[in-house]
Amino acid sequence: MQNTSPFKPVRDQVTTIREDGSRRFLYPADAPGRFDRARRAAALALIAVYLLLPWVKVGGYPAVFLDVAHRRFHLLGLTLAAQDLWLLFFLISGLGFGLFFVTALLGRIWCGWACPQTVFLDHVFRRVERWIEGDAVKRQLLARAPWTPSKILRRAAKQAIYLLLAAAITHLFLAYFVSIPSVWAMMRDAPTKNWGAFVFIAAATGVIYFNFAWFREQLCIVICPYGRLQSALTDDHTLVIGYDWARGEPRGKPGSPGAGDCVACERCVSVCPTGIDIRQGLQLECIGCAACIDACDEVMARLGRKPGLVRYDSLAGLSGRPRRRIRPRMVVYGVLLVIGASVAGWSASGIRPAMLTATRMVGAPYYVDGGTVRNQFLVRLVNKRSEKVTLNLSVRGLPAAATVRGLEAPVEIAPMGEEVRPLIVQVPRAQSALAIVFEVVASDAAGSFRLSRAMEFLGPEAAPDSPNSHEPGPRSL
Amino acid sequence: MSADPNPHPTEPDVRPHVYDGIREFNNRLPNWWLFTLYATIVFWVGYWAYYEWFRVEPEGARSVELAMTRIDAAKLAATAAVNIDDKSLWAMSRNPVFVDAGRQTFEANCVACHLKSLRGKSESPTAIGPDLTDQIWIHGGDPTDLYRTVTQGVPAKGMPTWGPVLGPKRITEAVAYVLSHHKEGEPIVIDTSVSAPAK
Ligand code: SF4
Ligand code: SF4
Repeated sequence: MQNTSPFKPVRDQVTTIREDGSRRFLYPADAPGRFDRARRAAALALIAVYLLLPWVKVGGYPAVFLDVAHRRFHLLGLTLAAQDLWLLFFLISGLGFGLFFVTALLGRIWCGWACPQTVFLDHVFRRVERWIEGDAVKRQLLARAPWTPSKILRRAAKQAIYLLLAAAITHLFLAYFVSIPSVWAMMRDAPTKNWGAFVFIAAATGVIYFNFAWFREQLCIVICPYGRLQSALTDDHTLVIGYDWARGEPRGKPGSPGAGDCVACERCVSVCPTGIDIRQGLQLECIGCAACIDACDEVMARLGRKPGLVRYDSLAGLSGRPRRRIRPRMVVYGVLLVIGASVAGWSASGIRPAMLTATRMVGAPYYVDGGTVRNQFLVRLVNKRSEKVTLNLSVRGLPAAATVRGLEAPVEIAPMGEEVRPLIVQVPRAQSALAIVFEVVASDAAGSFRLSRAMEFLGPEAAPDSPNSHEPGPRSL
Repeated sequence: MSADPNPHPTEPDVRPHVYDGIREFNNRLPNWWLFTLYATIVFWVGYWAYYEWFRVEPEGARSVELAMTRIDAAKLAATAAVNIDDKSLWAMSRNPVFVDAGRQTFEANCVACHLKSLRGKSESPTAIGPDLTDQIWIHGGDPTDLYRTVTQGVPAKGMPTWGPVLGPKRITEAVAYVLSHHKEGEPIVIDTSVSAPAK
């Protein structure tokens, strides 16, 4: 077995940072196996989803379109306006609790399988590198080789493809915010026409290129807050990738007496994209990519030994103690997650494309005018969509003898506009009461949605003998 | 050569402090990390020069002050654009642009009480608002009186305070629309019987 790791990882130091602070580049070896295949499939599916979200239309808008310019946020057919931004609280806290729950249960499953950093690095950029420069040994030799024309050519080709990929990712990212047609239009315009977008694209391309071409695992080790947070979220029963100490130790050549199953081939170290030795236990660098599992399983299979010397297991399971899935923290995180998700779902289901509010006009709560009692309201309508909407207004729940004025004509509201209408309600004195609860209702012409707001019609306590016309009556509570 | 900073080479170099039983290795920071520190220092020099030495742009409180002045000026311009005196209101009432805009505002907000014909109680006894086409006024019949009545309202009688709802521009237009039903210099009768507290 070829030993491709010129270093011995130690727990006291980060492998990828040398003692003088310089960077140690890694040349992780291929680790074909079942997890490798499954992860590639998951990554391709995720990339397809990332690519499709801005293209596929749900309810007339791209599936995900964060229209910053118009402050409209389209999520899978749900349109949120700036007025609905409070929902973001539940969305973010829901995501947070979701992450808590998944991490406590499955460890860094996100890092290894779904994080865009891993998805793009392992399944796009490293594939390109592998394709152009060959396997780990060849890549390492190329790195040490003098700058011959062939090396220059290969390196230039690799970096050029990286830049193209970074630009593609950035444009895709921009499409989440300004929609595909406008991205396309901007791309054909001169950069000076869309200076802001151009500078953003250029800078973001640079950052993404730098990240995938050079920075790589440093992001996971030093910058990613989730990577650091996880040690507070996991416990001995969380699913992690680990080495079965009892079974593997002491390490020794196959057949040597008293030796455990680990043959000290160091395959698990050479495939690790963060340069650690999983046999030293759970470490913060480990992104749970499962490459070391595939690598070790291959060795075990060749030796005719059972797979799983390195495996997905909990720390308890790896040390032979009973495994437990349900722990107090799972219940707590789970309950928080369910609360957050149901509140988010409930409030999102109440989101309408327009908003209706009604307030009492400034002045007296009611006016007694001859034989009638009059209340005056202001109905305010806000259109949250980027096309105009026509709303029909009506009231319900008032006595039949009531007269309602001001809502006769349908109200046309400009895209994202606001309209105010007075609502004057008169109820015959004989039928008025201290308070009549009624409803102001607005519905669009197609009847696709309905808005309503409960209001109170107020009147004098009891009909006095001589109605004092025009005078606002006193109201006792 | 300087002395070996780690006196026990077999032991890892550990910082002297201990917090909650946690000790810290004395490993060197990544060079790229130190580079970000140096880069912020370089940035700071440029920033300082930009704002403090050469004062290319005003900073902090000054820039807020400037922005506030700009906002105030814009607000003033908005009110100043609407000239509210009798003469200009009469002039607007003969200008179809103002009258048309005013009709839209009127029909959206005022017809509930004053009716589409503006004739209110004269057209239908059940209407709430008084007639705006006759020469009898309750709260003053000069254009500026109309403007004031609409803006401030007559809360005691139910005329809403439209100022904060419609703003000066739309109120001016609505007043122009009402005035378009009148002639400058026509006799005005003030109906004190209605404006008195008790009829
Ligand atoms: S230790 Fe194993 S699972 Fe963790 S990052 Fe390295 S190869 Fe991947
Ligand atoms: S754990 Fe497996 S892959 Fe790693 S050195 Fe031992 S036998 Fe080899």
